[in-house]
Amino acid sequence: MKNPSRYEIQTFEDGEIVVREGEETREMFVIKEGAIEVFRNVGGHEVRLAVLDRGNFFGEMSLLEGLPRSATARARGKTELVVLRPGTLLLRIRQDPTFAFELLQQMSHRVRQLNDQLVLKVARAEFGNRLARSAFMMTAASEYVGPAGGFESGDV
Amino acid sequence: MLHFAIDHDYSICINGDGVDFMQLSLQAMTGDLTPSLALFARVVRRGRRIYYTVGNHDIQLEHFLSDIGPMNVAPFLNLRSGEKRIRIEHGHTYDEMFLKYPRLYWLFTMIGRWSIIIHPRFYKFVHDLNHDIIAGVEYLQSGFKPRSERMKSVTGEFIEGERQCFREGAEMAGIRGFDAVVFGHTHLEGSIGLSSGVRYYNTGSWFGAPYCVAIDQGEIWFGPVSDLTTKGDPFPRKRPEQAAALG
Repeated sequence: MKNPSRYEIQTFEDGEIVVREGEETREMFVIKEGAIEVFRNVGGHEVRLAVLDRGNFFGEMSLLEGLPRSATARARGKTELVVLRPGTLLLRIRQDPTFAFELLQQMSHRVRQLNDQLVLKVARAEFGNRLARSAFMMTAASEYVGPAGGFESGDV
Repeated sequence: MLHFAIDHDYSICINGDGVDFMQLSLQAMTGDLTPSLALFARVVRRGRRIYYTVGNHDIQLEHFLSDIGPMNVAPFLNLRSGEKRIRIEHGHTYDEMFLKYPRLYWLFTMIGRWSIIIHPRFYKFVHDLNHDIIAGVEYLQSGFKPRSERMKSVTGEFIEGERQCFREGAEMAGIRGFDAVVFGHTHLEGSIGLSSGVRYYNTGSWFGAPYCVAIDQGEIWFGPVSDLTTKGDPFPRKRPEQAAALG
């Protein structure tokens, strides 16, 4: 019987689609090597949502909520991904609690970014560009807190 | 090591158990901490930072997971240096004994506390005896298989005397996009390559001959702290603002 705690690695070439918007697959991925571009198709145009590099997760929304993929993910350069399926996620969290911590931290960071973007868009719609930029800067400055847990430290 | 870091402009990461709430009295702790805090202040005055990853002997510091001015207290550190990503954590969360038998682990820790009061060498003797007892338990649990036979199923390198759970923990952490993983906790220093291509370092114990890791621009040096003081900075060409030392 296959050991469920062993990790599964998938490799993608540059430009290869990992998951497509609307798919009903449920895996979650951790970027081991390379990078992933996440985008949505809006009125026939690609709208880039994020570019994720090593150590980042994606696909966790489909795994946790069981809903269709909310965006398309495409490999940038040769990319290796650790694949986590619903059955192995709880086991992985139990074996490695820091993994759960990082998952929560990244999701918290994304929620914060989305809030900032939402504030900017609402302010722009209500007050126009100049005042919206001021409101955004004030919001961003007052809510910035250094990460409480593990964090990326640059320039070392 | 703190003096070395100050003199050579390194930031510092104390990888857990730097403060021992479990085994030291408050009097002993304050006696040790006071000069250390002064050195921390000197590190900070040079514009460098102090990172503290929480261990099992100072697990109470998890109440302070945040920035405390110039010091970051964290459960782990994901460090980016040059093109490399390096994971630093104490490693106790992968310790099967610590997780499965917390009361027994606490009992051994209290025995260690009294051993330190007698003499540090006696503490080392008791600590080594603890390792032997754990090895004995593993021998019984494996169905009386000697360690050499048990390790045959382990492919690749391993640190002599280290239980497999730490190597597996390093594999689990390292595969998430890291080039290197640094643990402590085991009191067994060593450096090995893992099956995922990640390099695993363990800096061993503060007692005896402590080891450390120095990192600069994606280059990693691993060795005894004494080598730093006798042989000097492993990265002598570095610019001061781009160096980090860990231990």
